[in-house]
Amino acid sequence: MQTTTARDLGLIRCETCGKLAFDVDHDGYQEHYPRCHGHMHMRATNSLARTWSLLITAAILYIPANVLPIMTVTYFGSGSPDTIMSGIIQLLQIGSYPVAAVIFIASILVPLLKMVALLILLLSVQFKWMLDDRQRTRMYRAVELVGRWSMLDMFVIALLVALVNYGSIAHIVSGPGATAFGSVVVLTMLAATTFDARLIWDKERTDD
Amino acid sequence: MLTSIPGNWIACKDCDLLLERVATPPGGKALCPRCENPLYQHREQGIERTLALAITGLLLFIPANLLPVMSLQLIGQETSTTIYEGSLVLFREGLYWTALLVFSASVVIPLCKLLLMLFVSGYLYLERSSPLLPYAMRYYHHIDEWGMLEVYMLSVLVAVVKLKGMASVIPDVGLYCFIGLLLVTTLMSSLLDQDDVWEQIEHSQGRNPA
Repeated sequence: MQTTTARDLGLIRCETCGKLAFDVDHDGYQEHYPRCHGHMHMRATNSLARTWSLLITAAILYIPANVLPIMTVTYFGSGSPDTIMSGIIQLLQIGSYPVAAVIFIASILVPLLKMVALLILLLSVQFKWMLDDRQRTRMYRAVELVGRWSMLDMFVIALLVALVNYGSIAHIVSGPGATAFGSVVVLTMLAATTFDARLIWDKERTDD
Repeated sequence: MLTSIPGNWIACKDCDLLLERVATPPGGKALCPRCENPLYQHREQGIERTLALAITGLLLFIPANLLPVMSLQLIGQETSTTIYEGSLVLFREGLYWTALLVFSASVVIPLCKLLLMLFVSGYLYLERSSPLLPYAMRYYHHIDEWGMLEVYMLSVLVAVVKLKGMASVIPDVGLYCFIGLLLVTTLMSSLLDQDDVWEQIEHSQGRNPA
């Protein structure tokens, strides 16, 4: 199989418009590509360091996101703060299994699996683990694809606080857990963006 | 040594493999042989479609955002909410960052995407040139994944189920406009051939500005 990469020939692919250009001064960086006026990088700058820092921050915030209440529902005087998990349990109690499953997947499973996947990607690139490259790229694309769906709970909170506003009878207010959770979603999405998938394949170069 | 880059050379976004661009049959899709990343797709009349969808989307955007998406009835009183109101309430409750996030993903970014596409496809359709075209397309590319209307749609369904036991929930006119907007923007994104648009932008830069 032919395995010549753009880099092998000293070419940079513009990450915005996809066009190829020569790496004229051989520093892996070209300023202002004429077609899209974008900067061009042979590989994303400090990809691993940036992804590590975003991932670690997300992992730390994942704790308050799950422990702190995301909202408080007051219904006929009695109110209790809800975390993400307790909200799912309540849905199970009223028998809404599909919705409970959707929220469990979007708010708990996806962020967790995403962080684990990014961790595996980072470790495998950093320590040159011999894992299947195609599988890892597939994993990376899955991370990129599903990340946005974790925003689900944020929108639900926004809808509920705006709708349920009946003073002492029924009232929903948001909680600090929502901020932490929103940050986790954004940070993991950014981490997926800063990770350069080409690094997975680069090690082939050092082998030969 | 390589002195010029052949026009049909491309590199895979995810594994940097150097490839030669070949024509795909109608409806065909080219995948990277090494990492299976979708490289490009065959599309026809891309610009007209994009322009039509951008205009439709903008027209739907107005009622979808100004009209209430759903109403709640409890003890004889009715409250309703629009898309942006949720962010406003969050802002008032002091969750500024969350409010900003929700507002951007559900209102600002979808609107910016529609406006940028209207600008780009409008200029290309009329065969005019503007020095701002590359910037518009670049910003579109960067904000693309941060518009989350489809996630918002699912959250409406979840909210309905959550409120079921508490009060009666009625879908409002805004919701139907919103569903239309969602369909239009999803079609616009999936039918958009970014390579083709860049090709045309590059081509248009040679023409005199409008």
